[in-house]
Amino acid sequence: MADIRTYTNAAGFYEIRMESIGGLGANLAGKMLAEAGVLRLGYNGSNFSSYGSEKKGTPVKTFIRFAAPETEIRSSSPIEEPHTVAVFHESLLRTENCIAGLPPNGTLIVNTAKTPDEIKTITQLNSGTIVCIDALRIAVEEKSRVNTAMLGAICRVVDFLDENAVKQVLSETFGKKYPALVTANIQTFDRGFTEGRVQEYKSQQQQTHVPFAHPKSTLGYDTQPLGGAIINPGNSVTRDLSASRSGFLPAFAPDSCIHCAACDETCPDMCFVWTAKQDERGRTYQYLQGIDYQYCKGCLRCITACPTDALRSIRETDGYADEHRVTHSVSA
Amino acid sequence: MALQEQHASANLALIKMTASTHTVDQTTDFRSGNEMAAKAAAQINYHMMGYFPITPSTEIAEYLDEMKANGEHDIVMIPADGEHGSAGICYGAAAAGGRVFNATSAQGFLYMLEQLPVQSGTRFPMVLNLVTRAVSGPLDIRGDHSDLYYGLNTGWPILLAKDPQAVYDLNLIALRLAEHADIRLPVIVASDGFFTSHQKRRVQYITQQTDVQQFVGDMPKPPIDALDLEHIVTIGPYMNDPDLINTRYLQSEAMYRAEDVYQTIAEEFEQISGRRYGLLNQYQMDDAEVVVILLNSASDTAKDTVDQLRAKGIKAGVLAPVMIRPFPKTAIQTALRSAKVVLVGERADSFGGHGANISHEIKSALQEVHSTATVLTRIYGLGGRDFYPDDADQFFDLCLAVVAGKEIPNFGYYGITKGDPALAPSARTKPLKKEQKTGFIHVAQDPKSGQLQVKVPPLRALTAKEQRIAPGHGACPGCGIFPGINTFLKGIEGDVVVLYQTGCAMVTTTGYPFSSHRVTYIHNLFQNGAATLSGVVEMFFERKRRGEIQVSDDVTFIMVTGDGGMDIGMGSAIGTALRNHKMIILEYDNEGYMNTGSQLSYSTPLGHMTSTSNVGKFEQGKTFQHKDTAQIMAATNIPYIFTGVETYAQDLIKKAAKAQWYANHDGMVYGKILIACPLNWKSAEEAGHAIVGAAVDSCFFPLYEVEHGITTITYNPEEKNKRIAVSDWLKTMGKTKHLLKSENHNQLQQFSDEVERRWQRLKAKHENPYL
Repeated sequence: MADIRTYTNAAGFYEIRMESIGGLGANLAGKMLAEAGVLRLGYNGSNFSSYGSEKKGTPVKTFIRFAAPETEIRSSSPIEEPHTVAVFHESLLRTENCIAGLPPNGTLIVNTAKTPDEIKTITQLNSGTIVCIDALRIAVEEKSRVNTAMLGAICRVVDFLDENAVKQVLSETFGKKYPALVTANIQTFDRGFTEGRVQEYKSQQQQTHVPFAHPKSTLGYDTQPLGGAIINPGNSVTRDLSASRSGFLPAFAPDSCIHCAACDETCPDMCFVWTAKQDERGRTYQYLQGIDYQYCKGCLRCITACPTDALRSIRETDGYADEHRVTHSVSA
Repeated sequence: MALQEQHASANLALIKMTASTHTVDQTTDFRSGNEMAAKAAAQINYHMMGYFPITPSTEIAEYLDEMKANGEHDIVMIPADGEHGSAGICYGAAAAGGRVFNATSAQGFLYMLEQLPVQSGTRFPMVLNLVTRAVSGPLDIRGDHSDLYYGLNTGWPILLAKDPQAVYDLNLIALRLAEHADIRLPVIVASDGFFTSHQKRRVQYITQQTDVQQFVGDMPKPPIDALDLEHIVTIGPYMNDPDLINTRYLQSEAMYRAEDVYQTIAEEFEQISGRRYGLLNQYQMDDAEVVVILLNSASDTAKDTVDQLRAKGIKAGVLAPVMIRPFPKTAIQTALRSAKVVLVGERADSFGGHGANISHEIKSALQEVHSTATVLTRIYGLGGRDFYPDDADQFFDLCLAVVAGKEIPNFGYYGITKGDPALAPSARTKPLKKEQKTGFIHVAQDPKSGQLQVKVPPLRALTAKEQRIAPGHGACPGCGIFPGINTFLKGIEGDVVVLYQTGCAMVTTTGYPFSSHRVTYIHNLFQNGAATLSGVVEMFFERKRRGEIQVSDDVTFIMVTGDGGMDIGMGSAIGTALRNHKMIILEYDNEGYMNTGSQLSYSTPLGHMTSTSNVGKFEQGKTFQHKDTAQIMAATNIPYIFTGVETYAQDLIKKAAKAQWYANHDGMVYGKILIACPLNWKSAEEAGHAIVGAAVDSCFFPLYEVEHGITTITYNPEEKNKRIAVSDWLKTMGKTKHLLKSENHNQLQQFSDEVERRWQRLKAKHENPYL
């Protein structure tokens, strides 16, 4: 069993940051990992998540600090230079600054079907260790969730975390509320532990890839309208919510569409784009043009609503949404 | 594995060694501040908790409810109608001679503020956990001390818990302090929202409840007890001058005594636990010349900077009060005896006061001993802005700059951003054009019958009508709010001004600097949205009358609220209805306080599981039947009341059109739409449309309208041969699946009977215009 002290930073901590979206279970994963470290392995530690008014599907960060048992924990602030970053959802690599503060010898774990080389290209990480784990596939096959697969992958690369201790916490946590799920989760954990593709990259680089920066306001005291009012409302159209999807999206087949608007009525995210056209007799009707995937969170309500085969659910593949997106005319 | 066990036990032995003086068994655990507050309350086994959920303190009630469901305590948990109500419940319960507990934050604290001096002034002890959070507005749910500072003048002793361990320990000490014969005052234990409340740390709690009970002791017999029927009393007389000042004098004396009494109790606590609590947390203060004073969690962060400065030979120190009411003046004077420069970091401002409260109290303490120390104030960390180690470095840098003779302003804000002009909004949003919002729906009053005739085109044609909410909001996947509101708004023509009460729809559409609203939108807290909008409405008509506003058509004013807002804001809504202002209240009911994490609302049906109506051995979901808000509003005799769901879209759009007509011609309208919350109903994201349809077909949520007192069922599932059993609706959701088990048969029957009774009564109303 490795001594934690050989891994800690100058302040005496080993730090892990999880990058996820609400609903994937990073919060629970962080809790179980930290409990294993503190209560089973006897380290000191702390664990918390970034909180706002997070809803399911919005980006969330979970932080875990480990230290030798005698080290006092003083900081309550987010982790700035994590030894390990675990990305629970691949799309976050595009929308969030996941590798901020990761040191040159840091470890990046990503839930992806891609290879470490591909992830290296996407993230422009020059050095360190990249672990790719297809946690979604494992979770689908084991009928569990990605979080336990991610935990397995993390345990493999963090030497001082004994995987059996984590598995004990896992059994206990699920055993209390959902005893039927214990076996599937242990299986998922084990596959996360063994199936990760690990690649180490050496380089001369000494610098942190992307330095950590404290979150900044978009508008400051010189540029904020009075009293916090928003004078360009409707500007939420500039937001990209595609990272909220957890693997599936609706595909549109225009030929089967009867333009009944059942999908439009039930869509919580106003993704359906319409246009007015004249039919052969010169009468004007509304026609469904397609889906603006920038806002689609993959809830699949529209599939249930569609009375024909015009909408069906597909597993999202790279580039599909960009290629098939029909842009909304709504502008701020 | 053997090696790992050895390693772990060595580590655990080390933990034990560091706290070896204690005399009671303690358990090491890994818990958050909120969990520790709940743990302490459960072990004390208070008689009662009256509460209302608010982030970030809500979890305390949730944990307690969960523990109760598992039989871990028997505290009576009363879900109030708001924090003012919760404080009332607690006051009554304390006057009635039992042990009472509560937890709140921010607006909740301010909403109950009026009650706090009543309780301290009439001298009834209890313990309130204030999990600190920024005060509105704009609404911010993260942690600062702006709520705490409002508490300084309430007459409650205030203890500050900087970490989860202190939350537990001070909760045990607080009850003793409150009940002490020399004190008899309610006590606040304040901890930092999120930083402490939601951060898990290694902690210890007293293993045996009997040891906790022994420490807090039996409740002393209250000198005044509303339920001591042998000694009848008048509590809270009418008291003017010259008497009140004497009551206050006694209160003031008791408050000052709290300092000594607290220290005695804290010493006793140290003897059993090995953990010492003084009036102040002091770090390297013995000879400190440059000192940073911070309340709660941030104070620990600054210790690393002190270590670094000490290594360079600079005499730096950190000071954090554990007690701020009474203000430990002498202890502060002693602690700062060597200080040359003191920086008080304040997580709240007293606007215009040249420094907030703590700065001035420190200054006055120092002035008394003729200290020459310079005191700086920096307002920092407002709205939950994190306090990083390098922020602490900068605070000490400011102190050192003063030592070096530099001119540093005494007062300032720290951590503000100027803003990049390039990112400032370059143009204002243009309103929707008339043809984008008008001309789709036709409403006419039949001159003979007075009935409204409504023509609604098919959904397809209505896609040409612009949505008044833009894409890009942050609601959960599959959220039913937007299909509900958007379908309703399809029936509304022309200009609209909306007011959203606090809730999911508000939070997800207006996360700064973004807004999804394409019409003018106002937020107010959900106690008061209806009154606020009535002010907007009346100002519209008055400014129009004075010729200050020129419009061809009147604006339609719509308040959007959740079912939570119709609980805490019921008084405001009823007052507004009785005044009959020309506006619409649209309630989206998702059967719980979903924005704060699925606590029960009064609209939550019997037996449904929420985070404050858990399912366990000793509890099977909510214990009382759902509120019939539509019938309550109907009793105000406003012109139009309706219910609707997205599943029956044409019905809902038609009702929206009528609602607009009545709001423009007659007066107030109230409408309730049932909407799905997949996250907290524990149902499939794509299933919401069908689930709310099933709620209608089971007659749990009948579709009807009341026009000038006449009830019409607009869709009768029995006539369409579509009626289903309530169990067929309940089986679609995870939150109700326990109700289908045989052991809960009675509860299901009670619920189903109540649904049937209300449905039969509604049918009778439908038949008879005078019912």
